[in-house]
Amino acid sequence: MRRKDLITHLIGEISSYVLEGDPMRMVISLHQEEDGLHLSVMDDAEHSDDEIEQMEKDLNSQKRPELAGYYGAMTGHDLLGASRLNLLGWQVKHTDITRIDKGIKIDFWLGGDRFDSRQFSIPEQD
Amino acid sequence: MLFFPLLIAGFIIMAVIIDGGAALSGFLRLQIKPARLINDFFMTEGVGAALVNSAAVGLTGFLVIVINGTRLSGPTYAAIFTMMGFGLFGKTPLNILPIFAGVFFASRFALKTFKEYIIIALFGTALGPLVSAIAFEAGLPAAIAIPAGIAGGVLTGFFLPAIAVSMLHLHQGYNLYNMGLTCGFFSLFAASLLKAGGSSLAADSYWYIEPSLALTLLIPVISVLLIIVGFIDGRGGSLKTFVKIQRQVGRLPSDFIDLVSVGGSFINSGMVGLFGTVIILIIGGDFNGPVIGGLLTIMGFAAFGTHLKNSWPIVAGVIIAALVFSMPLTSPGVQLAIIFCTTLAPVAGQFGIFPGILAGFLHMLMVSQTGSWQGGMNLYNNGFSGGLVAALIVAVVQWYRSNRKEKKFK
Repeated sequence: MRRKDLITHLIGEISSYVLEGDPMRMVISLHQEEDGLHLSVMDDAEHSDDEIEQMEKDLNSQKRPELAGYYGAMTGHDLLGASRLNLLGWQVKHTDITRIDKGIKIDFWLGGDRFDSRQFSIPEQD
Repeated sequence: MLFFPLLIAGFIIMAVIIDGGAALSGFLRLQIKPARLINDFFMTEGVGAALVNSAAVGLTGFLVIVINGTRLSGPTYAAIFTMMGFGLFGKTPLNILPIFAGVFFASRFALKTFKEYIIIALFGTALGPLVSAIAFEAGLPAAIAIPAGIAGGVLTGFFLPAIAVSMLHLHQGYNLYNMGLTCGFFSLFAASLLKAGGSSLAADSYWYIEPSLALTLLIPVISVLLIIVGFIDGRGGSLKTFVKIQRQVGRLPSDFIDLVSVGGSFINSGMVGLFGTVIILIIGGDFNGPVIGGLLTIMGFAAFGTHLKNSWPIVAGVIIAALVFSMPLTSPGVQLAIIFCTTLAPVAGQFGIFPGILAGFLHMLMVSQTGSWQGGMNLYNNGFSGGLVAALIVAVVQWYRSNRKEKKFK
């Protein structure tokens, strides 16, 4: 899959999820490097602690190449029914979710084999 | 990790008890037999031979999963059960290996690892009968028949990943047996080619009807064992997670082992197996290769999309259609539809009981036609039909929702 297609599908799935919360504002920011990219999505909707915990679980799930290589093709494409963050979780290197003034900010980090996480300042995992 | 080797060993022990040494010689003869729908291996070479073949096909799938370092979870659990099930009526180690090779070459061509396509390879073995048909039914000279069958299988496997992804988009994950739709679509072309070449691809129907207590009890015994293992694994919490599974939509890819729990998934698997057995007993069906194979398949998918709550409306729809159109419930096609129609379980899970019943109703009408379209070479004929029904329902619901649910702007 070309990088442009991948980004389009990721944005499609995450924006579908965010828009289900009916926000009045949604901001999508993309920063690309040769070996990776950083995608950030912000909204101003209410999110409960339970929802954020579930999002963390889905988006930072164990990598599943056997599912990502096949069912990952549904990401951002088949949007009848609820959005599925686990489709994203199988494909990204790491995700951070932080509360902002009103709403949340979701940071996705993606990269190839040469991906240098220090360039993107990914937080150290405990 | 231990469950499948024990199940495979159990099948071999049962085969030896039933048929002794004849099970092995029958198994070897099965490798060169036609395998298109419906070839009940219980009838063609005996119960023992079919059980050994099922064990060998299951072991092949298990080894492919383990060697490639893939996790045993919902989809792989479903794949091994499905492969063992269809090892009773269509798949053999000989006719599935070329498909694996073809998918392997496709993964290399697409610059991916085989692991990324392993689910496609495992379920793509539905087209094993195509390999057997080219090798043993097409009337080719003996010297080229087997190489041609292998080449046909490799070529088939090579194209499966490309088609499988497109088919997913068609029904959006509401048909659990996506490879059934994929292989059915491919088979339309393969069957046309073979027919153009002079092969009649006449429909075979070998359906074992001898009653047997051992065969009747096979699925209930496995189901009860799964339920016990599920309770032990969950240490008291399994019943709660089993109930939680009943609330899942089941749309592809819903890995219940990952999303909920191992224990709950095992209990769900056992309960689905018992549910299917009870339905077959009520209608007076046969416990033969295809029916036991079907029950094994739905038990596998009970970790990957199927549960009691999203299945019963589809089954009800199939039975209603059969009664309305005077199709005997004990006819082979209806028995198989009652079991395999649960491919449409996510439709009931997402849209509710009545759309689920409608889906089952339409499925019964379609599946009685689709087998002849594809020359019986795609073993997942219900997945083919289910995919067409799901695509129709998804198209209509999507059109309705995008135009009627709410105004775009005030």
